[in-house]
Amino acid sequence: MSEDANRHYISSAVIIVIPQAEERVVRDVAAMPGVEVHAIQDGKIVVVIEGTSSGQLGAVLSAISAIEGVVAANMVFEHSEKEEAMSDDRRIDAA
Amino acid sequence: MIGELTRRDLIKAHAAGIAAATAGIALPAAAQPVPGGVESLEIKWSKAPCRFCGTGCGVMVGVKEGQVVATHGDMQAEVNRGLNCIKGYFLSKIMYGEDRLKTPLLRKRNGKYAKDGEFEPVSWDEAFDVMAEQCKKVLKEKGPTAVGMFGSGQWTIFEGYAATKLMRAGFRSNNLDPNARHCMASAAYAFMRTFGMDEPMGCYDDFENADAFVLWGSNMAEMHPILWTRLADRRLGHQHVKVAVLSTFTHRSMDLADIPVIFTPGTDLAILNYIANHIITSGKVNEEFVKNHTTFMKGVTNIGYGLRPEDPLELKAANAANPANMEPTDFESFKKFVSDYTLKKVADLTGADPGFLQQLAELYADPNRKVMSLWTMGFNQHVRGVWANQMLYNLHLLTGKISEPGNSPFSLTGQPSACGTAREVGTFAHRLPADMTVTNPEHRHHAEEIWKLPEGLIPDKPGYHAVQQDRMLKDGKLSFYWVQVNNNVQAAPNTKNETYQGYRNPDNFIVVSDAYPTITAMSADLILPAAMWVEKEGAYGNAERRTHVWHQLVQAPGEARSDLWQLVEFSKRFTTDEVWPAEMLDKHPDYRGKTLFEVLFKNGQVDQFPLSEIDQSYPNNEAYAFGFYLQKGLFEEYASFGRGHGHDLAPYDRYHQERGLRWPVVNGQETKWRYREGYDPYVKAGEGVKFYGRPDGRAVILAVPYEPPAETPDDEYDFWLVTGRVLEHWHSGSMTMRVPELYKAFPGARCFMNADDARKRGFNQGMEVRIVSRRGEIRSRVETRGRNRMPPGVIFVPWFDASQLINKVTLDATDPISKQTDYKKCAVKILPVA
Repeated sequence: MSEDANRHYISSAVIIVIPQAEERVVRDVAAMPGVEVHAIQDGKIVVVIEGTSSGQLGAVLSAISAIEGVVAANMVFEHSEKEEAMSDDRRIDAA
Repeated sequence: MIGELTRRDLIKAHAAGIAAATAGIALPAAAQPVPGGVESLEIKWSKAPCRFCGTGCGVMVGVKEGQVVATHGDMQAEVNRGLNCIKGYFLSKIMYGEDRLKTPLLRKRNGKYAKDGEFEPVSWDEAFDVMAEQCKKVLKEKGPTAVGMFGSGQWTIFEGYAATKLMRAGFRSNNLDPNARHCMASAAYAFMRTFGMDEPMGCYDDFENADAFVLWGSNMAEMHPILWTRLADRRLGHQHVKVAVLSTFTHRSMDLADIPVIFTPGTDLAILNYIANHIITSGKVNEEFVKNHTTFMKGVTNIGYGLRPEDPLELKAANAANPANMEPTDFESFKKFVSDYTLKKVADLTGADPGFLQQLAELYADPNRKVMSLWTMGFNQHVRGVWANQMLYNLHLLTGKISEPGNSPFSLTGQPSACGTAREVGTFAHRLPADMTVTNPEHRHHAEEIWKLPEGLIPDKPGYHAVQQDRMLKDGKLSFYWVQVNNNVQAAPNTKNETYQGYRNPDNFIVVSDAYPTITAMSADLILPAAMWVEKEGAYGNAERRTHVWHQLVQAPGEARSDLWQLVEFSKRFTTDEVWPAEMLDKHPDYRGKTLFEVLFKNGQVDQFPLSEIDQSYPNNEAYAFGFYLQKGLFEEYASFGRGHGHDLAPYDRYHQERGLRWPVVNGQETKWRYREGYDPYVKAGEGVKFYGRPDGRAVILAVPYEPPAETPDDEYDFWLVTGRVLEHWHSGSMTMRVPELYKAFPGARCFMNADDARKRGFNQGMEVRIVSRRGEIRSRVETRGRNRMPPGVIFVPWFDASQLINKVTLDATDPISKQTDYKKCAVKILPVA
C-alpha cells in the first residue's frame, strides 16, 4: 500500500497493565512522541497515537506492548485524512 | 459548553471516546465521543474476519480506489469488540508487499518444462497444460495414490470443500492433508476419542464467567492477544479470579500468573495425572456427574514416536502398529492407576515447585471454582499430544466442570479456519465433512449420495498425513503434489533430510499456489499466483465454532487468482474416462466423457444459484468466471452434510449479515454451550448433560501414563530445543515479514538462552552461534534478555525467519495417534561460530 506523505493518522488504543505498574507505564507512555494519555481507570489506559503513517502508529503500539508491566495493548479506532483538512487554522464549531 | 475545537482535537476526542467505551471506562466529561462520529466519506467499509490466527476477530475493512487502505476492529464483532491486535492492525498491508506474485512461473529450459530449469513467466493456459499433463502421467504410471495435495486452515471453507471433492472424488486419492496437521491434529483426535464429536463444547463467553484460567503451554499474551485481553480483563477486574500458567520457560503470559509453573519438557503428562490423583484423594470427584455422563478406558502404552518404521525407537515400541487402541476399565482401576502420581514424585520428575503444583490442583478440585483451561501448540505439538488433551478432559470430567458458562476445557487454534475448513470440511487424509471418515463404508456412501456420484468412488484407505507426504515424496511414491495456502518447506520438521529432498526429487512435479515467493514456492516446479483474503469472497470458521463470511472487496494484482478458481478451473482439464476405473463407468455410463468440472461442480447442486443472487455492490470473480454463484452453491451442498446431525449451519445468505454464528445453528439460533440441556437444542428435556457424539452419550476418561519424549538431551546434545512464535509475526512470516514495521519490530529470529548457560560457554548477548542437532544446523544470535527467560538447559528459537530455518534442526517425531509433529522437544548443542 502506498501511503500518502501528506496524510495524518490518528488512532486510539487501550492498554491493560498490572495494577502495581500503572503509574510507571502511564509515565513511560506519555513520554513517547505522538502519544497522549486520555483516560486511566482500573489498570486500563486509553491513549491516542498520532503520526504520518499507519506504520509509525503500529510501531508505537509494538513499543508499548514491549514495556514491562503491559499485559496487552490493542488498537481501537483509526482515522486518517489529508494534512490540510486537519490543519489547525480550519477551526470548526463543535458547540 | 465546549469551546472551539480544532478538527484534529475533535477526531482525537472521538477516537479516545470509542476506545474508552470499548474498554468500559468513563472519560472526563469534556472528552465524550462526538455524536455521529467523524465520517470519512471516500472510504467504503465492509466487514470481514481477520486473516491471521484462529481467534476470528471481526475487522472493518476500508476500501478506497480499489485498494484496502485501512482496517480497524469491528465494534459489532462479539469476539474482539472493536479491538485490534498488532498483527490485525497491519492487515491492510499484507496484500501489498513488493514481491507479490502476479503471474504463473514455470521451471523451463529451451522453452520447455524442465525440473532443473529456471523460473519463467507463463500464461495460465500453459501452466495448467503442463500441470495436467504431469498429473495424467503420474496417474497412469503410479496410480491415484501417487497424487496428493497439501492445504491448510487458511483455505476458505469453499476452497477446502472444492479440494476435498477434487482429490477424493475426482482423482480418487485421499492424499489430501492440511498443515493444520502440524497445528491441532492432536486436539481433533482427542475430541473424537473423548466426545465422539470434534471442537470445543464451550465458547469465548467462558472468559467472562470463569473463576480461574489455566494455560497449558500456551503463551496467549503473544499468540492470542485479543483473547488474552478478555482474560486479563476478567482477572484484573475480579479479585477472586486466579491465573495459572504452565510452560517450559518464562514468557509474557507469566506476568499475570498467580500460579507460575515451569516444568521439564514433556512432563506435563505427569502433572495432569497428579491433578487427577489429587481430585480423587481429596474427595472432590463429582460422583453424580461421573456416574451418569462418563465411561472409563485404558489406552495401550509404549506406542512409539511416529518416526520412519525402521527407526530403532519404532522397533522398540510394542504398540507402534496400533497406538490408538483403548479398552474399557472402571473408576477403581483409574483411581489406582493415577495413585502413582504423588506430589513428591511429580515435583521431582517435572522440576516444578510443589507448592504451586498443589495450588494448581486445588483450582480444579475446588467445587466452587469455575475453571477454563486453554492450550494450543504446547499440548498439540507433543509426541503424546492426544493423551495430553485427553488427560486434561479427565480433570474437567472428574469434576463435572464442562459444558456450562465458565467451566470449559478450551482448545485454541492457530489458523483462521483450522476449525471451519481443515476440521469441519474434513480436509484431513482420513476425513469427510461433518466428522465422518473415509474408513467407514456408510460415511463414504453418504458422501457419494450427497455428491451425486457413483457408489464406491471414494477410496477407503486414509491417505498420507503431512509428515508422511514428505517422506513419500522423498521415496518417490507421491509424485504429483499441489500445495496451497501454506509454507511447508519452512514449517515441516527435519526439512533438510525429508521435505526439501522430496520437492526436488526428479520423479516429482510440485505445484505451489501462493501470494508470495516463499521458500516453498521457490522449491517448486510451477508457482501459481494466488489471490488472498478480501481479494475473493470467503468463509472461515474460528475456534469457538463461529462461521464468518466476507465479500470480495478488491481485485488481486496482475494475473493472481484465488485458490478456489484454480481448483475448479483445473478440474475442467480431466474427463472421467481419464481418472475413473473403466468398470465404474461401465456400471454408470451416464458419467462417461464428462469433465470433472461437470460431475463435481456443475452437478445441478453447486450451480443452482444464479448470478442474480450475488450482492451487486461487490465483485465476485469466481462466480462470474463460472457463470453461477459458486461459493453459495458449494456452501449449501457442504452444509447438507451437517444439518440435522449436530453440525447445522444457517442458510448462506444470512452469514453476509452476521458477524459470524456459532454452530449448531438450529431454528436460527446459535449454540454457545454444547451437550447441556437448556443451551444445546440437541439435548432433550430431562437429559441434563448428554455427550451425544458417542452412542452411549458418555464422555471418555482415559488412563494413560507419562512416557518420555522421543529425544532427550545427553552429554553431547545437551540442550532442549523448543520452537514457537512471537507477537509480531504470524507463523512462517510470509505475510508479516513483508510489513516493514513488523519486520523492524522483530527482524530476525534469536536463540533465547539462559544467561548462566551462555556465560559458562563464553557466549555474550547478541553473539552468533551454531545450533546443531543430529539432523542439521543453523546459525542464530544469543538472546539472554528480552521477553522470554529460559531455565538452564532449554533454548527457544522462533520459526518465522526464513533466513534461519530452525526446522533443519527439529526432529520429525509425531504423536503416533494424531500424526502431529512435536516441534517442542529435541536435543541440540550450541557451538561458537569458529
